[in-house]
Amino acid sequence: MQARLLLEDGTLFTGRGFGAEGGSVGEVVFNTGITGYQEVLSDPSYCGQIVTMTYPLIGNYGINRDDFESIRPYVHGFVVRRHEDVPSNWRAQYTVDQLLKEYGIIGISDVDTRMLTRILRQHGTMKGILTTGNERVEELMERMGTTPLAIDQVARTSTKSIFNSPGDKERIVLIDYGAKSGILRDLTKRGCDVIVVPQDTTADEIRRLHPDGIQLSNGPGDPKDVPHAVNTIRDLLGEYPMFGICLGHQLFALACGADTGRLKFGHRGGNHPVKELETGRCFITSQNHGYAVLDESIAGTELEVTHINNNDKTIEGLKHKRYPAFTVQYHPEAAPGPYDNGYLFDRFLQMIRDNKEANPERPRQAQLSETLRGELQYAQK
Amino acid sequence: MSDSRVIMDESAIRRALTRIAHEMVEKNKGIEDCVLIGIRTRGIYLAKRVADRIMDIEGQPVPVGELDITRYRDDRPDRAKASGVLPDEELKLLVRDKRIILVDDVLYTGRTIRAALDALMDCGRPQSIQLAVLVDRGHRELPIRPDYVGKNVPTSRHEKIDVSLSEIDETDCVTIFHPREAEIGR
Repeated sequence: MQARLLLEDGTLFTGRGFGAEGGSVGEVVFNTGITGYQEVLSDPSYCGQIVTMTYPLIGNYGINRDDFESIRPYVHGFVVRRHEDVPSNWRAQYTVDQLLKEYGIIGISDVDTRMLTRILRQHGTMKGILTTGNERVEELMERMGTTPLAIDQVARTSTKSIFNSPGDKERIVLIDYGAKSGILRDLTKRGCDVIVVPQDTTADEIRRLHPDGIQLSNGPGDPKDVPHAVNTIRDLLGEYPMFGICLGHQLFALACGADTGRLKFGHRGGNHPVKELETGRCFITSQNHGYAVLDESIAGTELEVTHINNNDKTIEGLKHKRYPAFTVQYHPEAAPGPYDNGYLFDRFLQMIRDNKEANPERPRQAQLSETLRGELQYAQK
Repeated sequence: MSDSRVIMDESAIRRALTRIAHEMVEKNKGIEDCVLIGIRTRGIYLAKRVADRIMDIEGQPVPVGELDITRYRDDRPDRAKASGVLPDEELKLLVRDKRIILVDDVLYTGRTIRAALDALMDCGRPQSIQLAVLVDRGHRELPIRPDYVGKNVPTSRHEKIDVSLSEIDETDCVTIFHPREAEIGR
C-alpha cells in the first residue's frame, strides 16, 4: 500500500503505508531517540503531531504491555525509515503495525527520514498531511490549508474525572494536562498519595483536597492555549510547594509573569544535555517540547533560571525566588530516556517536608479522614 | 508470622458494593448495553453481587461474564497468541459493542487489568471499558485507573492484601497483612 507525506512547503515523500488507512493532518516533528518508540507513540504530548523517528529501524522489539505512557497512542501519524514487521523480543505482544491499526493511526515507512529531518531543521517544524489515498497533490495542499492545527489537545488528553492512587506518604495533587503515566509512577514509587485531577480543576477544588504539594504535568501544545490553567497556578502559587514538568513548567512561567515562545524545531529525544547552573554539572535528559520559556522575559519576574540546554542555551529549569516552587522543561520521569533525573522528585518531596517544618502552624494534611475519602469517591462520578 | 488487621468487614463490603452499583447506574445513565465481566475467581463473585444489586435498583438484569486471564499473563510462557488458543465464543458474543465493566478484587500494579484489556480486545471491540475494584492499594506501574473503588487503601509494598468472600472463603472480609520488621530484611 502506497502512502504519501506532503509538507506545507510542497515537499512530497512517497513511501509504504502501514497501520491504518486514511488521511491525517498534523505538525510534523522529529524525535531522535534510538529506542522508546512505544513511549513516544503513547506520550500524550505528541497529540496532534506527525512524529518522524530519525533512528532508521523502528518496530524491531514490538509493542509490549509495560511501556505504555498512557492508555492509548496519541500521535496523529508515524513516519519511519524502516518498519520491522517481525519483532524479536521476549516482551513483544504485537507489532507497531497492529497497534496503529487498532487505534486508526496512519504510518508511513521507506521515507528518507534524514532528508525530512534536515528540511525540518532548516525551515522549522511545519504542517504536513499524511495519506494512503490517491488524491492529487493540489487536493492535498488544499485540504491541509483548510484544516487548522488543533488547539484543544490538553482538554483532549487530560483525565475527565478525579482519581486517586493511594499511598501512605505525602499527598500530591497532580494536575493532568495530558500527563505521562511515568510521573504518577515516579510519585507512587516514593509512596505518595497521588490525586490526579482534570486540567480545568479550579484552585478551590484543589484546596479542598488538602494537598502537601502540587505537581504540574507535561502536556501537548502551546501553553497559551490553556489560559485557565495559568490562572489556577497563579492562584495556588506560594500556598503549596509546586513542581512543574514540561508544559507545567511553561504554564508556571506564564503564571509568574514570564513569556513563552515557539522553538524552531523543538527538542525531542532522549539525549539532550542540560546544565545545572548552580553546580555546573551536566545531565543527559529526555525531552519533548516545541515551546520554551523566553530568556529575555525572565528579568522583572521573581523567577531564577536553574537549568539551560547545552545545545542551544534555551531555558530548561526555573525556580521561584520566594516560594517553594521549581520546574523543569525536560522529563525527569524518563520513559523513554535516561533515569538520571529522578532525583528531582526526591528534591520535590524534600521541599515539601522542609516547607512543613518551616510552617508548622499549618494543619497536618497527610491524614485524610475516611469521610473525605468517601467524598472524593463520590466526586469521581 | 505477620500482623494482620481487618480493613473491611462483611457490612463494609456490602455497603461498598451497594454504592458501586448505584454509581454504575448513575454514570451509565441506566444499565443499557452494560455487561459486568468478573476477573478470575473473586472478581466473578463480586460482579455477581453487584449485578444482584443493580437488579434491585433498576429492576433489570445485567449480564455477567467471566474472564480467565491466566493465559494472557505476560509472565506465563503459554500465552494465547503463542499457543493459538482463542477466547471462548460465549464471551465474544457478550462483549461485542457493549459497555464493559471489568470487576476485580484488588488493584495493584495494573498488570492483571492490562492483561484483561488485551483479552477483551481479542474478544471483539467493546463500546467502552470501565473498571470496578473492591480495593485499590496503590503502587500503579501501568496507566490503568479505576472508575469505581470500594476502598482506597494506602499500603507499602511489603504488605499483603487478602480478600475473602463467603462464596469460597467462608467469610466476607478484607485483611491487610503487615510483615514484622525482621522479615522485611532491612
